[in-house]
Amino acid sequence: MTVWSWLRLTASLWLARQALKVTGWLLALAMVIAAWPLTLVTAAGYGAAWWRGWPPARLRRAAAWSLTMPAAWLAVAAVPADRLRTASLGGLRAWAHGWPPWPPHLTAAGAARTFALLAPAAVPAGLALAAGSWAWRNYAVTTGLGGITASAPITFDARQWKRQVRTAKGLTEAPGAVPLVASGGRIPVGATIRALGHPWHPVFTLPATACERHMVIVGATGSGKTNLMIRLWAGWFTATLDTARAGRGNRPLLVVLDCKGGQDARRKADRTRRLLYGAGARRVVIWPDEAALSLWALPARDLAVLLYQMIETGTGNAAYYADILQAVLTLAVTAPGGPPLNATAFLDRLDAKWLARAWSDGRHPREAALVHAAARHLPDIQLRFATLLERLGPALDGPGALADADCWYLILEGTREPSVAEAQALALTELAAHAATDPYGEPRAMLLAADDYSAVSGRVPLSNLYERGRSLGIGVQVSAQSWQGLGASEDERYRIAATADGGIFVLHTPYPEPLTALAGKRRVLDTAHKLIGNSWGDEGMTRELRAWTADPDLIRRLDIGQACYIHRGAATFVQVARPRPSPLTLLPPPASAPPVPRPAPRQVAGPGPWPPPAGPNLDDIFGPGGTG
Amino acid sequence: MSQNPFAALGLPERPDLDDETVRAAWRAIAAATHPDRADGGDLARYTQASAAFAELRTPWGRSEAYADLVEQAWAEGRFDDDDDEPGTVPLPAAPAAAPLRVRPVSPGQLLLASVWLPSRIGRGRPLRLLIRGAIAAGLSLAVLALIPGQPAGPAGVAGLITWFVLTGRKDLTPPPER
Repeated sequence: MTVWSWLRLTASLWLARQALKVTGWLLALAMVIAAWPLTLVTAAGYGAAWWRGWPPARLRRAAAWSLTMPAAWLAVAAVPADRLRTASLGGLRAWAHGWPPWPPHLTAAGAARTFALLAPAAVPAGLALAAGSWAWRNYAVTTGLGGITASAPITFDARQWKRQVRTAKGLTEAPGAVPLVASGGRIPVGATIRALGHPWHPVFTLPATACERHMVIVGATGSGKTNLMIRLWAGWFTATLDTARAGRGNRPLLVVLDCKGGQDARRKADRTRRLLYGAGARRVVIWPDEAALSLWALPARDLAVLLYQMIETGTGNAAYYADILQAVLTLAVTAPGGPPLNATAFLDRLDAKWLARAWSDGRHPREAALVHAAARHLPDIQLRFATLLERLGPALDGPGALADADCWYLILEGTREPSVAEAQALALTELAAHAATDPYGEPRAMLLAADDYSAVSGRVPLSNLYERGRSLGIGVQVSAQSWQGLGASEDERYRIAATADGGIFVLHTPYPEPLTALAGKRRVLDTAHKLIGNSWGDEGMTRELRAWTADPDLIRRLDIGQACYIHRGAATFVQVARPRPSPLTLLPPPASAPPVPRPAPRQVAGPGPWPPPAGPNLDDIFGPGGTG
Repeated sequence: MSQNPFAALGLPERPDLDDETVRAAWRAIAAATHPDRADGGDLARYTQASAAFAELRTPWGRSEAYADLVEQAWAEGRFDDDDDEPGTVPLPAAPAAAPLRVRPVSPGQLLLASVWLPSRIGRGRPLRLLIRGAIAAGLSLAVLALIPGQPAGPAGVAGLITWFVLTGRKDLTPPPER
């Protein structure tokens, strides 16, 4: 073979290949033009998905909904039997008549008529094709198969994120897009920005049962944590109330522990109250501003243990005095005749004469001996408890109970008075536990939400609260400003986060890695290309890698009101919608009188005289009118 | 201590007693028997009344106590089938602390929903809804005018109605308590 013939052969082969390729493209172009109604719908669907940042699932659902068109077409055509054949041919005829003679008779009206005739088939098919094309485009770019430059996957992802956020924000602004509760008792949280592993829905919803398990919310100040929490509370309350009204569950009882306190807490409480009134609640009480709870309503044994835990007892030699303290408290609280009814009555009992008289009925020789042995310590113990109860204030001195209201918003001054707030938190969690297990009370579905609990977790670690809630069957929702705020040690933090079977919400926070690690990693494909100069060559390789399901860098960049929900190895980024009650809710006058009266400040500095004043007046025990 | 908490408080054996009646009975006994009284009170009686009050202080507790009494009476054969004594009638449901409004699921709800519709439109985004409606109506008319008598006409209208319903929902304000 001569050089010339070899060159001719090579050129011929190249030309043949190019001709084949061009022919293929021309054929494809001809098909695209010939099926122009389908092309039009596909292009429109693809363009909308690109512009709005939709996932392919959004187009697939649109295609499914548009099946109403062929269904209606079939229904209408099926009425006269012989019309079906005519009608089915009508579309083809219209399509055929839409072309020749080309181009003078192809008018806009003709094209519109053709499109209208073919729309019942072209719209679903076009949308389905658009979904397929858009899915392929996403796949090609993210795996590195598509795109012009090496940075295409990064640029594509960044642009799509912006479009997804814009679309999600637009949806949350619509008045009816994100109500307080959705069908099936689900709680709408906000508009979905991006779903990784979870099924995609335009509005991200949670089942109400997720709140009845354990949930963790972590977000820095100003990240939108409050909005998210209030929305979840209102959604859970509405869904649970609906279930109770339908006779399928118990009435809801929401207990919120706001552990930072201050004016912000009051504003938040007011917002929560307005929202819950709009959601159907009738009694929302803000503690300690409007009402008091009774510590003394606890069962005697529990009360004794609680009072013991509320006092600093120390270790070492102090253990001896701690045992005496515990014994005295048990004697005072479990004395025959029932537990004390208020702080005054309790302090009165920390007196040797009172205790001796109470236990000297001849049936309790052991207790009487204990009273005798501990008699010299009683003044000290009485002084310590008088100081503690004075610091705690009158808000735990009754007469309210958690069951009296639909929601208790409990404000603890964890920032201003941490030691008092810690003791209050201890008492309040005990009251909540009692409310959940009280065999004589009405059974209630209960959610205990603790906002910034780390401010008061000195006496009851968060993990303890969490595990307690689990054992009592009540939902516990905890929030913290950072990963470190969840617990004192790394072990405790992991224990809290790893057992959050209701899911974890992560908002903007500078150190999300431990939380995002719980979402795990997903398989991704990475394609490397050989570069020739500044452009890609035709060689390369694809390999499988592991990437974060919930990208920590993305979480660090989250804007206000954006959150990432992590659950079961999947993550959904969501634009949280500000909770608003329906303006149509018809309310009865909101509880104008609080369910329980605000107590007067206690004026007790120490125990009263013994024996008590003679006479039948027991107002100090039963309150005014107690003897009536 | 007596097994009958109603008797301990001097109350009739009824499950439908109200909170105030029970509390008043307990207060009267407690005021007369409290150990803090100058005369020493009556500790046994006070303890008995306190325990009874703890049992009967909620509607749920009264219902349970009443059920226990009835069960006990049946076990002891104190009631027969022809007897009109308490316990031969079904137990009433324990009244909740606040009455619940039960919403029966019925076709009437659809009517109720339609009653709310004007308010939901008015409090939502009526202008957007109007524009959507105008687009859907205009295109529907255009389709019907372009291809009169063809099944594709109603099909197109069905598609436009679907689009209007799916996209217009978010422009309505949520119904009450939602």
